[in-house]
Amino acid sequence: MPLDKKNDRSVQVLGIDAGGTMTDTFFVDADGDFVVGKAQSTPDNEALGLIESSREGLEHWGMNLEEALADIQTGVYSGTALLNRVVQRKGLKTGLIVNAGMEDFHRMGRAIQAYLGFAYEDRLHLNTHYYDEPLVPRHLTRGVMERVDMFGTVVIPLREEMARTAAQELIAQEVEGIAISLLHSYKNPDHERRVRDIVEDEIKKAGKEIPVFASVDYYPVRKESHRTNTTVLEAFAAEPSRQTLKKISGAFKENGSKFDFRVMATHGGTISWKAKELARTIVSGPIGGVIGAKYLGETLGYNNIACSDIGGTSFDVALITQGELTIQNDPDMARLVLSLPLVGLDSVGAGAGSFIRLDPYTKAIKLGPDSAGYRVGVCWADSGIDTVTISDCHVILGYLNPDNFLGGQVKLDRQRAYDAMKEQIADPLGISVEEAAAGVIELLDSDLRDYMKSLISGKGYSPSSFVCFSYGGAGPVHTYGYTEGMGFEDVIIPAWAAGFSAFGCAAADFEYRYDKSLDINIDEDGSADQKEAEATLINDAWAELSEKVLEEFELNGYSRDQVELQPGFRMQYRGQLNDIEIESPIESANGAEDWDKLVDAFNDKYGRVYAESARSPELGYSVTGAIMRGTVPIPKPNIPKEEEGPAEPPKAAKLGTRKFYRKGKWLDAQLYQMETLTPGNRITGPAIIESDATTFVVPEGFETWLDGHRLFHLKEV
Amino acid sequence: MNVQSDIKGIVRGGQTLKQHRDKIQEDTKATGHYAGLKERALQKEDPILYNKLFSRLRAGVVDARETAKKIAASPIVEQEGELCFTLYNAAGDSILSSTGIMIHVGTMGAAIKYMIENDWEGNPGIADKDIFTNNDPLIGNVHPCDIHTIVPIFHEGELIGWVGGVTHVIDTGAVGPGSMTTGQVQRFGDGYSVTCRKVGANDELFRDWLHESQRSVRTTRYWMLDERTRVAGCHMIRKLIEEVVAEEGIEAYWKFAYEAVEHGREGLQNRIKAMTIPGKYRQVGFVDVPYSHEDVHVPSTFAKVDTIMHTPSEMTIRPDGTWRLDFEGSSRWGWHTYNAHAVSFTSGIWVMMTQTLIPSELINDGAAYGTEFRLPKGTWMNPDDRRVAYAYSWHFLVSSWTALWRGLSRSYFGRGYLEEVNAGNANTSNWLQGGGFNQYDEIHAVNSFECAANGVGASAFADGISNAAAIWNPEGDMGDMEIWELAEPLVYLGRQIKSSSGGAGKYRGGCGFESLRMVWNAKDWTMFFMGNGHISSDWGLMGGYPAASGYRFEAHDTGLKEKIANGDPIPHGGDTDPENPVYDSLINQAGIKRDKQAITTEDMFEDHDLYLNYMRGGPGFGDPLDREPSAVADDVNGGYLIERFAERVYGVILVDGDDGQKVADDAATEAKRADIRKDRLAKAVPTRDWMAKERERILNKDTGVHVQQMYASSFQLGPKWAQEFRDFWDLPEDWDLKEEDLPIPSYGREYSMDLSELPDVKTVKFVEE
Repeated sequence: MPLDKKNDRSVQVLGIDAGGTMTDTFFVDADGDFVVGKAQSTPDNEALGLIESSREGLEHWGMNLEEALADIQTGVYSGTALLNRVVQRKGLKTGLIVNAGMEDFHRMGRAIQAYLGFAYEDRLHLNTHYYDEPLVPRHLTRGVMERVDMFGTVVIPLREEMARTAAQELIAQEVEGIAISLLHSYKNPDHERRVRDIVEDEIKKAGKEIPVFASVDYYPVRKESHRTNTTVLEAFAAEPSRQTLKKISGAFKENGSKFDFRVMATHGGTISWKAKELARTIVSGPIGGVIGAKYLGETLGYNNIACSDIGGTSFDVALITQGELTIQNDPDMARLVLSLPLVGLDSVGAGAGSFIRLDPYTKAIKLGPDSAGYRVGVCWADSGIDTVTISDCHVILGYLNPDNFLGGQVKLDRQRAYDAMKEQIADPLGISVEEAAAGVIELLDSDLRDYMKSLISGKGYSPSSFVCFSYGGAGPVHTYGYTEGMGFEDVIIPAWAAGFSAFGCAAADFEYRYDKSLDINIDEDGSADQKEAEATLINDAWAELSEKVLEEFELNGYSRDQVELQPGFRMQYRGQLNDIEIESPIESANGAEDWDKLVDAFNDKYGRVYAESARSPELGYSVTGAIMRGTVPIPKPNIPKEEEGPAEPPKAAKLGTRKFYRKGKWLDAQLYQMETLTPGNRITGPAIIESDATTFVVPEGFETWLDGHRLFHLKEV
Repeated sequence: MNVQSDIKGIVRGGQTLKQHRDKIQEDTKATGHYAGLKERALQKEDPILYNKLFSRLRAGVVDARETAKKIAASPIVEQEGELCFTLYNAAGDSILSSTGIMIHVGTMGAAIKYMIENDWEGNPGIADKDIFTNNDPLIGNVHPCDIHTIVPIFHEGELIGWVGGVTHVIDTGAVGPGSMTTGQVQRFGDGYSVTCRKVGANDELFRDWLHESQRSVRTTRYWMLDERTRVAGCHMIRKLIEEVVAEEGIEAYWKFAYEAVEHGREGLQNRIKAMTIPGKYRQVGFVDVPYSHEDVHVPSTFAKVDTIMHTPSEMTIRPDGTWRLDFEGSSRWGWHTYNAHAVSFTSGIWVMMTQTLIPSELINDGAAYGTEFRLPKGTWMNPDDRRVAYAYSWHFLVSSWTALWRGLSRSYFGRGYLEEVNAGNANTSNWLQGGGFNQYDEIHAVNSFECAANGVGASAFADGISNAAAIWNPEGDMGDMEIWELAEPLVYLGRQIKSSSGGAGKYRGGCGFESLRMVWNAKDWTMFFMGNGHISSDWGLMGGYPAASGYRFEAHDTGLKEKIANGDPIPHGGDTDPENPVYDSLINQAGIKRDKQAITTEDMFEDHDLYLNYMRGGPGFGDPLDREPSAVADDVNGGYLIERFAERVYGVILVDGDDGQKVADDAATEAKRADIRKDRLAKAVPTRDWMAKERERILNKDTGVHVQQMYASSFQLGPKWAQEFRDFWDLPEDWDLKEEDLPIPSYGREYSMDLSELPDVKTVKFVEE
């Protein structure tokens, strides 16, 4: 449709996935139809890439940006910038204030951080364990003398002059943020808040603007390693992201948008970019994909899904079991223990843009952890990159079409990649360029496969009971590689794989969640009066949280009656160290009977999660937290449904052949145009299915077919 | 008459457990292949299914551990991961295991085998949904605080295997509070003892068991939830087996349960061939038992002696990848709690192998079948007396095994596997233990497991990592301070990397760390220390130094209450340089105990008293003079090395850099190192001369009584080793050293009575004696 004509389509939802390499936009109209836009990411000013991606997508609908933005009700952002900053330890220069005498604890880890994310074999294999650099180096850490005990009682009063000195020294070292975490501050926040005020005072006196983050204002939960890491992340990595989001929001407003951006958060809902706890968006991009997979699974009836996403910088895996996301409360991410509610998801810094290097002494091939990101690799002459990347291997081996990268927006030069690969990797190893490139791909594939396997088996499942969804710009290039021999029930690549995380954002609930710590203890045979009193405590907490949730929605223009509230709570047997999260069976708790219903729900779930024999009611119960979640209905994308036709792909879909190298030989791979394939088509490898935004590789020994929902199914033959 | 053959047994196919195990042993012996499996039919015919079974079952046991540990209230289970689940075939041989305290793959197997050999099948009977509990070191357990829950797995009324779960509990009701106590010298003081007892039926624990067991320990709540953790994990795994059998068929599962063990045996053999060089490797380990000190209170005068424990070892690797480990010459067991059963000694070596030689998913009893052990009867690791105490067998287990790392590492080095070299493991101590009334006004015991995160030995390629692991659990962790403070009425005043605790070297050992704790909110409180003090219990490799040994620091009547109130300086952070201590100047001098007595028994502590918990480092690799000078500067800047040792040990001259950090002066360093090398040559003596001098000392018995006692005990139990000693030092044939001639008691030297001599007991022999 010509752009000068008035378009009567009403665009309702915008989903954004700003990856390290590509920025995807996903628009949904009032009928649930959707379109994907793509552009290269522009990390220096993310708004540029975003606007470009939006224009590109809306062009398919014949709309211009201003037209579309005027109607949009809701815009959800997700990105990987924050996570990448953490994985690559490239954050702001952050200072840390802890208890005097404990200045080492942050760099000491928890020792668990030396083997987090390892497969079973390497967890045992001691010589493979290693620590990453701490987020805050020891010389930017200061101690203040004070102690509070586990009950919140002051053992040693705060020595304020030490806080002042600490602040002055850190300011003098030109830190860009200061995190504060004192032992047991979640129980008694006075000292930590006082230190915070002193630090802010000193910053003011120094005439500087340095953000200060006290753990108690952000993540007031027990376990100082988790709490401190998470608080440090706010300073180290989240603040730069807030600036980015502010810019983006501004750029869209300039183009006529009226909505305020929300960001996909770790709990699987979306929050405002102004939210205080922005570290919660550390894995927003990958979460988008998981939410998309869950939505697709719900619509099509897949219960157990292994979600896998490869972008330019990282590989992410999440499991949906029995249609439920797993929420972890003290998860780990980027080999750090954290204290966030997180959709269970694991990530490694290995993607299509990962750099390939040889260890100068051992000639060992090293992948990543840093990456070329949006700059692709040596194959792009203008990238300024001179270290070869995985994408360079793809170009050398014929996986990618150098003339159709991003639909031809970026021209890639195979010879450049070839020469660089020869010099940097192949010659030093004494092998051919093809062998070297294919070896690197094999290495990456086997790494990803092992990782996925360890994750699935580490959670106690077998791939055979899972459907694997593969998406992300580089996902379909490697799907065959990391699923080969795994025995998944099915392997599915949505035709819109490249925009899948953005699709997920568009499908995400608008959800606010508030938590409140409680410390309610009662015996198994507590009296009716006691039970009633406990029920009242919970109910009061719910009421308080509901109010916060409703206020948030009111700010976003939703009336109270539009909000659906779901209370929850966290409970454990008294004395335990782990609680479990329970969705409340009742809307409000009044009286002893309601208390019993909560206890029954807990006992029931406890028996299911662990085993019947693990129930310990005789110890009594502790309620450790109240939860309130509120959602409002929003328009969601429709899943396409078309008739399945013939197995033979239409002639128009065939794009000729390209030389493709795998397992030591060059073969002619049949090329197809993805969008032109029709449901029911069957393709046997070697074949490469191309679209502007992604490339789906079907090597020899594999077959794929396209179903009526425009989902490709890949299997070994 | 053997009536068993007429009775239908409970094992799948109708054998009794005893018949089943006998047949497997017989076939293994006859063929050299586990259960006579020269060919692994399932693996050959359906490799995908075989691999699937492995991956599924392994994942299942791993998940059971991850899930079940959340039930526990004890931080050493929940936070430190001191638990393990293992799947066994009907004969009690392990098929696969979770991670965690994997030494119990062997010890739980030994418990199952004890039940088999002593006809538990006949009495008390073994039925579907039964629950058994064991913690008996006399039949193979490491020490009484490791509690086993064992559940049989049945299919259509027949037994097809077992699952075992173990947790390390915080207290077992020994003479003193804590799990690994020092005050007793016989097993009767080691605490609650349970021998493969049937404690439940129909998936429910018996009430008499619950009442008896829960009052037999100090920390009842931990005990209860630990038990539920174990039972829940076992039931999860049993359920998984039922599902797998339903989906893949019992025939496939049954074959798998035996083929996997043979596969594991072959796997070890292949790894030995690939990684090592055939030959004999000899090495030795020592540890101190300083019991004459006034702060060691034991009930018996005959135990009040200073002794040294000794483990020489000879590792023979044959060209076909089979190997034999012989420990002739080891010391006799003693009147302390540092003795070990043969099963725990050999299982621990198996654990070490899983960390270095066979770190694969194929880890099971196959490796045990692939290793020949010889442990002379009567030694500390194969005692011949049923009075022997075991509560802290780890004291010498860890120091004996560190020698084996060195042996294997020499082999790896020879093959060029520099990354696999490990100069040895840290002595995993100190153990902060004690008890009394805690902050909740309950009877309590504490057992900090911070020392699951010691320094790691250096490789021939890189430094060992710091505050990271323990030989008994590579997934070490020091845990969060806030969690330890929930469990212990002791607040932290410091947690710091322990400078210079790792051994120096071209690549240094990882450093340990130290925690300074102040007693707070405790009543009638006691604590004690545990670890090596006078002896470096590891060695360092190829010129690398051993890790620093231990010491103790405790302070009473500190005056801290007033100092805190007045805002005066108080001790905090690490005891960075014990030779120039800072703490001591800030508190009342009279109450300080700072010495090499790293083992004590219960002493009383009051609020505001101090206790330093120092976790050891790992040994180093290679000559420190070969270390990059800049790395030495980094060590000092990072708090890994006390500054004065940069020059003295490494020959590195440091100067102040622009940013206040130290930098190496390369020219001055080169000169200093040249001087040190010259100095070394000047001090050097030809070996022949040195040996002649030492020989004179030996002939004159010119050494401490504790050293003489150690050798005398080794000579008595290891005649071959004694002969080699005489030959090596060219001593007269009649030269001898006898315990009875020494001026200290050697009670128990001549009379002993083993468990096997009790009526109706059939012990299971696992090693050559």
